[in-house]
Amino acid sequence: MSTTQQGTHSLAFRVMRLCKPSFHVEPPFRLDPADLFVGEDIFDDPLAAANLPPLLSSQLTKSMDSSDLTYGNRFLLHHPSDAMGFSGLLLLPQSFGAIYLGETFCSYISINNNSNFEVRDIIIKAEIQTERQRILLLDTSKSPVESVRAGGRYDFIVEHDVKELGAHTLVCTALYNDNDGERKYLPQFFKFVVANPLSVRTKVRTVKETTYLEACIENHTKSNLYMDQVEFEPAPHWSATVLKADELHPADNSSTGEIFKPPILIRSGGGIHNYLYQLKLASPDSAQMKVEGTNILGKLQITWRTNLGEPGRLQTQQILGTPISRKEIELQILEIPSLINLDKSFLVHLNLTNHTDRELGPFEVQLSQNSAHEEKKVMINGLQTMVLPQVEAFGSTDFHLSLIATKLGVQRISGITVSDTTEKKTYDPLPDVEIFVESD
Amino acid sequence: MDEPSPTVDPLTNQFGSLNDLSHELASLQDLAMRGSWRSILDKVSGARSLDLLAKPHDHLIYLSYNVLALTKLRRFSDASNELDSLHDFNSHHYKYETYPKLYHTRSGSMVPFSLRFINAQLPFKLGNRQEGLDRFYLLLNFIRQKIKDKGIHSLQESVKIWRKREVFVLHCLIGQHLGAKEFNVCLDLIRDLINHDYLDPVLVSKLGYIQMQIGDFEGAKGSFHRVETMLNERKNDDSSALSEVEFRNLVNRNKALVFLVGKDYVSAVREYEECMERDPADVVAVNNKALCLMYLRDLSDSIKVLENSLERVPTVALNETLVVNLCSMYELAYVNHSEIKRTLSNWIARVSPDDFDASCTRV
Repeated sequence: MSTTQQGTHSLAFRVMRLCKPSFHVEPPFRLDPADLFVGEDIFDDPLAAANLPPLLSSQLTKSMDSSDLTYGNRFLLHHPSDAMGFSGLLLLPQSFGAIYLGETFCSYISINNNSNFEVRDIIIKAEIQTERQRILLLDTSKSPVESVRAGGRYDFIVEHDVKELGAHTLVCTALYNDNDGERKYLPQFFKFVVANPLSVRTKVRTVKETTYLEACIENHTKSNLYMDQVEFEPAPHWSATVLKADELHPADNSSTGEIFKPPILIRSGGGIHNYLYQLKLASPDSAQMKVEGTNILGKLQITWRTNLGEPGRLQTQQILGTPISRKEIELQILEIPSLINLDKSFLVHLNLTNHTDRELGPFEVQLSQNSAHEEKKVMINGLQTMVLPQVEAFGSTDFHLSLIATKLGVQRISGITVSDTTEKKTYDPLPDVEIFVESD
Repeated sequence: MDEPSPTVDPLTNQFGSLNDLSHELASLQDLAMRGSWRSILDKVSGARSLDLLAKPHDHLIYLSYNVLALTKLRRFSDASNELDSLHDFNSHHYKYETYPKLYHTRSGSMVPFSLRFINAQLPFKLGNRQEGLDRFYLLLNFIRQKIKDKGIHSLQESVKIWRKREVFVLHCLIGQHLGAKEFNVCLDLIRDLINHDYLDPVLVSKLGYIQMQIGDFEGAKGSFHRVETMLNERKNDDSSALSEVEFRNLVNRNKALVFLVGKDYVSAVREYEECMERDPADVVAVNNKALCLMYLRDLSDSIKVLENSLERVPTVALNETLVVNLCSMYELAYVNHSEIKRTLSNWIARVSPDDFDASCTRV
């Protein structure tokens, strides 16, 4: 809504948001004469089948005659697809609507002289004011508009790419000489608020050498968003491939071929769509690449279209992967026997690797208690602590742990922990491993 | 209903004129063509009270015009109540064979199909969208069953008319889903029609418009290209419902839309002008050209284009969308726009049909 200063002005600004027009859609009540003049099954009667069609088509021809000055086009169907109520007629934007970050704000501005006298030397300015800045959209200072006659207008169209959230004001000002030669100043303010059109939630999972990035885009706008492009731009040394699910409808459209590419449309007001990317580090043996601290994966570039292809674009912030901590010690299970019997000991083959450049150890390997202090179903058979000698720099050692299971079925080997007795350092336990315990 | 004694000689041509089909049907039809829906209500009420409707099918046809008139006058509850008074469209009361003295050997339903259509579309106007969709989909099943039955009995003319009705209902459904922005459903329904060899250039164009609407420009261009191919491959004996002028204008309007969406308004105007040259009554071209002029900062000319069309071809140009656009332009162009809108409103009141929704002037 606009606010102006006090005092009478010869000029006034009129503003209309000029986003793209929209198609008018309204299924009408329009009929075929055959569905009105006679019963629906009358054509079963051979007499009717022979004699009715000429009568009916003469009715239709009458309605299609352009010299026929009736409103038959609002009542009868001229062409079968008229029933859709979608003729291609375009409608001007009827309200200001919502404006979202990433869109382009476009407006028709008309300055009217609604007095009875000519107005001269008009300097017109239009700018957008936000919390952070003022952006000049139009300035006729260098070449002022010479005059606007009584009842006349000067029109212009301004565009602005919206890059900030929150309150915006379109400030239109006119500096002019009115009929008395008085230099007058007219400011008018049109306020609008810019909201966030989407939110992006990400999940990062690492499986061995590959990192998977799942991005969920949620649409907060009032229209459906056609996702033109959603691209992941990986950080240096990373490469990304998008993973797509198999199409639900196989390409069966022989006659329609190129017409149908299922579009990605995210429903208005909360609809979501998920994207999955597979990320790999450029060099596989990238021990040198594993820098301590946070791990930047890259960012998403999103471009979308709304009504009649009205474009919008946004970029996410940097997306972070799981922090990589430099591992000094790596403990892994190499082999577990496939057959494990109740109350019979079995050997688990493990390996301990020293990733540092100095000798570490000696070590102790134990099964740590879980937080609930429950009695473990799978325990070390024999001495509860296994001692391992020192391991040289960048070296490794294999060993076997004798375990015994005291309960049938699916059980877990949990809490295998290694500690360095010299440095008095306990490392994180191995993740749980499931085993199946059978009876003899 | 009682069976009055037959008054028609079965040897005369029963289908020579509209009045042969039903009591004073020509007059009813004439009123409908003029949009004089209030007069239709009067005529129907008069005929009923004076007991002028001799036969069951006359009652049904008059009821159809009455329901249609109520609908056109936006009296949707009244229309719905009148339809409900029939209780069951499939009742034997509405079958020709129930009255052999009147209809001799004719059999089947005498219910005008329009009643089924209006019955399905009314719930949407009464705010009950789900009911409306259910009725349309049930109607589609009903039609497909009829097509099967008529086919089995080799009633070719009936099969033709019921197939037409199938296409009609599908188009109604596409329109309803489109209005609710359920674009993927629309695309599926249209794909279905095209895959079953229903190759209508207007439908393919509308597919293109929907693709444009959602932002699938490549798809839209493909559809429009296909329409152009259909025009070029058209034979002289083409039974397509389009005349040469209509077909060419369709292609021009499709091109114009591509220009318009690409913001090349000058080229869009050029395409629309070609349409208007061929057919001054091409109201879509007129309306859309005016909008393009606005986007070219030429508000004065955009207003002139719309005002001229109302003057020269009022019976086609007078539609609510065009008037809303013109009023939006007035509101932008004039600080004191109420006077000019009132002038327009008064003119409309003099020439418009009864069903014209005058609230579109926002006066």
